[in-house]
Amino acid sequence: MAYRADELIVFENVSKFYGDVLGVNRISLAIGPGVTSLVGPNGSGKTTLMNLMTGLIWPTKGAVRVLGLTAQDPERFFRLVGYCTQFDSFARGITGREFVYDTLRLHGMTHKDAADRTQESLERVNMVEAADRKVAAYSKGMRQRVRLAQSISHHPRVLVLDEPLNGLDPMARAESMALFSTLGKEGMHVIISSHILHEVDRISDQVILLNSGYVVAEGQIQGVRDEVKEHPMQIMVRCSRPGFLAAKLFAEDHIMEAKLHDDGRGILIRTRDAGRFYSQLHQIVLDGELELEAVAPADYDVNSVYQYLIGSEGATV
Amino acid sequence: MAVYKRTYKPYSGELTANWTRFTILPRYSLAKIFDSKILIGLLLVSLLPFLVAATIIYFTNNPVARTLIGLRGESILSIDNRFFFQLLKIQGSLAFLITAWIGPGLVSPDLTNNALPLYLCRPFSRVEYVLGKLSVLFFLLSLVTWVPDLLLYGLQAELTGSGWFTANLPIAGAIVLGSLLWITVQSLLALALSAWVKGRIAASGLMFAIFFVAAGFGEAFNQVLRTYWGHTINLVYLINEVWADLFGVPTGVSFGRRIADPRTLSVPVGVAWVILLGVCGLCLLLLNRRLTAREVVR
Repeated sequence: MAYRADELIVFENVSKFYGDVLGVNRISLAIGPGVTSLVGPNGSGKTTLMNLMTGLIWPTKGAVRVLGLTAQDPERFFRLVGYCTQFDSFARGITGREFVYDTLRLHGMTHKDAADRTQESLERVNMVEAADRKVAAYSKGMRQRVRLAQSISHHPRVLVLDEPLNGLDPMARAESMALFSTLGKEGMHVIISSHILHEVDRISDQVILLNSGYVVAEGQIQGVRDEVKEHPMQIMVRCSRPGFLAAKLFAEDHIMEAKLHDDGRGILIRTRDAGRFYSQLHQIVLDGELELEAVAPADYDVNSVYQYLIGSEGATV
Repeated sequence: MAVYKRTYKPYSGELTANWTRFTILPRYSLAKIFDSKILIGLLLVSLLPFLVAATIIYFTNNPVARTLIGLRGESILSIDNRFFFQLLKIQGSLAFLITAWIGPGLVSPDLTNNALPLYLCRPFSRVEYVLGKLSVLFFLLSLVTWVPDLLLYGLQAELTGSGWFTANLPIAGAIVLGSLLWITVQSLLALALSAWVKGRIAASGLMFAIFFVAAGFGEAFNQVLRTYWGHTINLVYLINEVWADLFGVPTGVSFGRRIADPRTLSVPVGVAWVILLGVCGLCLLLLNRRLTAREVVR
């Protein structure tokens, strides 16, 4: 089923620079309902992307539309969006219930509506019992859940969660994941950022991998995993007999390309399966067929990012 | 991608007026402030001038009471523009202490904790955020400046009768306008410092420096160059100039006693207005620059 433009979060060739510093660059995305995970290391642009879709910052280039609206229409736009930030600041002495209630009053709700929705959202995050205690006495996980409660309390259609699983114990983590999944199934756009893909892949319908401000992969979780697994890697080998190594490896189906260095002392290999390449190289060296000087990934950045994001299951090196 | 049918309903109930939403912010700030014993003490001290002035007004208007406490003669003081001018000067100093105590803690916690997106991801603008924070100071400082002064004005009018109220309306105007100007200058300065200086103590210290160290430099400048333009960096002096003009009191006069030659002291009142409003504008620029929602995690 194709979604209409007013049912999607659309990034059209969006770039955001903070002065000379790149936030994100040339991002084009269309995010539908369900759970979407933004995964990438620190500085990859996750928070920038989230700030763009929550209308907190404006793109330097391109356009962002959330369900057909932009932040130029703040009254309607901000009612659509709920943002659970990484950080918070609570007034001294405030309780969890008062905090959620106040955020609803900032939305313009009347006392009764705000009080009703506060109770409802606290129930959803399983915080009713602790709601009337002071936030200062909360654990990190409880604070996280109160932030989550304020983000869903006004019934947004888009829920943006910045590292929502940080600081949660396993039980709270499982409960939160179940809640995100339920919200996604109710038709909400749930956008979750995380450092680690396998932290969120169980509940994600779609994943967007970011690195250095660029989208490096996007799509359904299995497709991204396959893409990462099949991503060709370049490995530089300095050895005594690079021509021999090239001849030996060319018979292998995972080897895509081999380029000899001009000085005749090295070779650049492109492979789809770095693990197999390293095993074979290891065997050749053990057999005494060549002397190895150095081996190094030539596109280490991409490799390391993938390895970091995918974790051990998808690691190729 | 899975296809989901939307099964929940967004909020479609009644909404409060936009302009009222900033009033949500002061609620807990004020609650927190009234937990502070130091501030309660400061507020009580700030009420002393009001009580003293009320007593003076009462005895001035009541010859029998004066006789009972052994005072003879026409009156203690003349309750006029000079009286209210001097009273506002004292209250202005106390208002400064209150501002220096609570102002620096209003914005910095939100910035230090990267919590501004919590406010700004709602139909709630940065202007409303600043208004909400300013209203804390406006409320407290009003309690120690123009509100008690208008009560005193009313008391004097009540005790004097015979058209004193209407004949002295410019005094009421001077009380309100002069107080609001001073409250605005101090509050914006405190918020700007709170936004730019992380530590509360450091921000309070800087506030004292801006008011008093700058005044010292200005005075030194005047002495060395035999001019009065050094006063232009003395905010207390400038507000006194404006107040004197609003109350119609000659500069350099205290309780009817000439304390200095005005020619050697006066900065033109227009210049004083421009500088004070310029300080407000500069503070707004600083707040505008600092109060951004973005978090850049790199």
